[in-house]
Amino acid sequence: MAFLSIRNVFKSYFLHGKRIDVLRGVSLEISRGELVSLVGPSGAGKSTFLHVLGTLDAPAAGEVFFEERSVFAMSDAEIAEFRNRTIGFVFQSHYLLPEFTALENVAMPALVQRLDRTTTYTKARELLERVGLGARVDHKPGELSGGEAQRVALARALVLQPAILLADEPTGNLDPATGEGIHQLLRDVNRDLGITAVVVTHNETLARSMPRRLRLAGGQVTDA
Amino acid sequence: MQTAERQTVYRWGFVWSGALVALVGFVLLGVALSRSHAWAEVASSLGLSIIGWGSLLQTLNALSLTPAELGLKQPLPIGGTQFLVAGVLVWLAGWGLIAAGIRRAPPSTEGPSPAAGAPLYPRLAGYRDFYWSTLAAYGGGILLAEIVLILLQTLLSSGVQVSETGGASGSGLQLAPPWAFAVSLLVACGIAFISGAIGAARARRLSLPEATIGVFYLGLPVPILLTMMERVSSLQLTLGPRLREVTYVAGLLGRPELSYWLVFGLLVLMLVLGINSGFVAAGSGRLDLRAGFELFVSRRHVEVFRPSLLLGTLGVLMLGIVPPLLIYGIVRSVEAAVERTRIRALGLADPLAAAEALHRLKLREQSPTMMMTALSVGGVGVGVMALIVVLSVMSGFEIDLQQKILGTHAHAVVSKYAGDLPEYPKLMEQIGKVPGVIGQSPFITNQVMIVSEGNVDGVVIKGVDPDSVGSVTDLPGYMLPGGSLEYLRKPELILPERAPRGAGQPMLDDKPAGSEGKPEEEEEEIDPIIGRTTKPAQEKVLPGIILGRELAAALRVVVGDKVNIVSPLGTELGPQGPMPKSRVFRVAGVFYSGMYEYDAKFVYIYLDEAAKFFEVKGANGIDLKVADIDDARHVASEVVRKLGGYPYRARDWSETNRNLFSALRLEKLVMGIILSIIIIVAAGLIVATVIMLVLEKRKEISVLKALGVPDGGIVKIFLAEGLQIGVAGGLLGLMSGLAWCFFIEKVGIKLDPQVYYIPALPVKIEPVQTLLAVVIAVLVTYLASIYPALKASSVEPVEGLKAE
Repeated sequence: MAFLSIRNVFKSYFLHGKRIDVLRGVSLEISRGELVSLVGPSGAGKSTFLHVLGTLDAPAAGEVFFEERSVFAMSDAEIAEFRNRTIGFVFQSHYLLPEFTALENVAMPALVQRLDRTTTYTKARELLERVGLGARVDHKPGELSGGEAQRVALARALVLQPAILLADEPTGNLDPATGEGIHQLLRDVNRDLGITAVVVTHNETLARSMPRRLRLAGGQVTDA
Repeated sequence: MQTAERQTVYRWGFVWSGALVALVGFVLLGVALSRSHAWAEVASSLGLSIIGWGSLLQTLNALSLTPAELGLKQPLPIGGTQFLVAGVLVWLAGWGLIAAGIRRAPPSTEGPSPAAGAPLYPRLAGYRDFYWSTLAAYGGGILLAEIVLILLQTLLSSGVQVSETGGASGSGLQLAPPWAFAVSLLVACGIAFISGAIGAARARRLSLPEATIGVFYLGLPVPILLTMMERVSSLQLTLGPRLREVTYVAGLLGRPELSYWLVFGLLVLMLVLGINSGFVAAGSGRLDLRAGFELFVSRRHVEVFRPSLLLGTLGVLMLGIVPPLLIYGIVRSVEAAVERTRIRALGLADPLAAAEALHRLKLREQSPTMMMTALSVGGVGVGVMALIVVLSVMSGFEIDLQQKILGTHAHAVVSKYAGDLPEYPKLMEQIGKVPGVIGQSPFITNQVMIVSEGNVDGVVIKGVDPDSVGSVTDLPGYMLPGGSLEYLRKPELILPERAPRGAGQPMLDDKPAGSEGKPEEEEEEIDPIIGRTTKPAQEKVLPGIILGRELAAALRVVVGDKVNIVSPLGTELGPQGPMPKSRVFRVAGVFYSGMYEYDAKFVYIYLDEAAKFFEVKGANGIDLKVADIDDARHVASEVVRKLGGYPYRARDWSETNRNLFSALRLEKLVMGIILSIIIIVAAGLIVATVIMLVLEKRKEISVLKALGVPDGGIVKIFLAEGLQIGVAGGLLGLMSGLAWCFFIEKVGIKLDPQVYYIPALPVKIEPVQTLLAVVIAVLVTYLASIYPALKASSVEPVEGLKAE
């Protein structure tokens, strides 16, 4: 039984009245615990593919299966709950909520599920320690640097210990040194917690350091 | 295979011209109807047909008319036939034009997309645009609410005696009509709300098509029918008697149609609220009423309950806009000046640190949405405050008027259909045993003319018993110093006038008649030329009469002066019929009730004197005072029952003054509606504010959705934001409104008593009314936030998460 499988997925987006077919019948299988990188030319649709994988966007046709359950056949509310429990996101921009402190931001996915606040905040504090930001717990995102904010975003993605971690150019806005720190964190998390990770990246070093490499071009995804 | 979409093409020229032509046809048909005077008959069917019941109606009409048609000897005259024919033809032509203007476009030349033939995204494949069960829930719900309202109202209040003879008109309970209405309305609103909630919860969408069709098709017929009942006589005959409890309550406002449509609007509102709440609570797939997380987020977005905002808005509401704004402006500019000086000093030493400080200063500036939030709170607050203050003042006027009327008139009057009440002491004994009666007084009343030295006036004269009249009216309290009700019984105590008329001589040696306490009967000597008694006015003992202040002023009399009462209903026969009889009275006192009509038109004399003068045995009637004014009608009919029914009757004060009070009530309602416009404008401001919040936070909505917040949760967040603004504004408005009312009551706003008949602005805070103002404000705010909140939930995650 495949952990995560995509079958015959079609997806387009629309620009200036023209339809651009980004995914044309993509089929793919990913096993549990894999660390996968996704490369391809600019504008090929890597982000779109990741959005579909992460249930943020529905395909025009085709299905996505998680442990043999068809994700998009569920109702909107079920999909939202699934996303909350199973998937963690890290984007190119940190996308932290500006009115909340770092601690509250990290705890947010658990708060969405209405879990107990005290245990949640403890867990969030632990995670922030782990990414090296124990001292910045009560700062708002506006008071953090880019790298620090991205680490908070990573901690947020991990707080509910999701089965899947999806990262879209996580270090695109960061300098090489900070970026390397994030990459190491990703590898550690995959190794220690067994989290399956799909990382979209332009960074060749990072891509080469991952065991499996996928390439998106011409609407098709192939192992490279 | 052609799979590209085929669009519909409109030739707008055809469509618009067709619409105009059809309109002309409609007008011609209207002319035809007016010519044949058939509007009334047609209006009800037209009204119901427009909302879709046409075919059913026509069938019913046909079935019921066929027997009548068969009995008809000649065809009904139809005037304006040429208009009818022309109208129909033009109408059809117009629609033909419209049809010609709508076409399908030719198939496009694009080929199928790469995905042609692949299975459809599962959710879209199972999507249905219309659910019959939802329609049943919405339409059935509102129809059920209306029927329950009518039935409950009838059931609960039909036991109340409506006729004077004291018989019950129905077999239902005996709730007073307004209370029965309150109960029935509450139940009906609950039904509408719950049906909306159930419908939306099961459908998991708002289902506007079902809601519109349901309300139009199943909800509108009832108010249309009720309105038509007022106009069309055939309906009045068939339905009127069965619905009289409903009509009575509706008529309390003056115009029944207004009540019907107001209530209908309220029920539709409850349905909408129910739909919205059902969607929010259950739209996520299962009933989720918890809102802890959403409140947590929304409170952070819209920090309404900050002391600075609350105090500032309260200050604006209490003191007006200008003073607080001035203070605010001064404080801010001083603050800014101090900051800049400090930063400049810092910058002279360390420019980078100064730059950082400037940056932090900029961060602390308020975003535009903060200001809009404050404005919205202020707007709602002003609306609520205005409603509370104005409605309380109007209540004050109403209470004042009621007190003035009831100070002079009794709550209820017992009399006979024809004839006097010689047995009144026995009756009073029996009446005293009826629970609810707390005072009674016999009287004789008539219309007479009053004549003084040079003035005449027509007045209502009332013979009263000075001992008991105070238990029924406030007459003893209205007496001005110098006179007294006691003088009616003991006229010898009336001090004659102190100064002579026009003579200017002091009368120091004159002894007031009867100062030794002995009545002095003197013989009248009539001067043959002047025709008046030669005894000076101060000496003869005459029966006492009490006048109102305005009348006394008009007649130019004071306590001790003589006046003549002339009644046209004499019993002596003269050459042209009954001769008027007259009697001289001495002014025993002057009263001031504060109501011009009473002070100018009422005079009081002793009951026994009146009996003698008008040759009445005993009394005309008995005035009653009851413990609960609103129950007067009920107590009055109880009294009649106790006395044995016919020939006795009882009328309560609301019957005689019904028009005045229902006019006051209508005025208050209309004023309330007009002032609510302030709240509606504030609601519009809230819509704008929440929309701006949504736009500002689009990215965050996407992030929250990516984290797994369902659509219903997003709606809850923004509904909570709007509600917080409404609640804050409502509470502030309540506080400032109450504060202003207390100010008006304690410190007072003076009025010129000559003009307004009241020394200061009256105010009466009615708790129900005040609470209603706040509740309406919060409700309107909730409604206003629904649309922006729904817009927020439709933001797609990818919209806000585009790679930058």
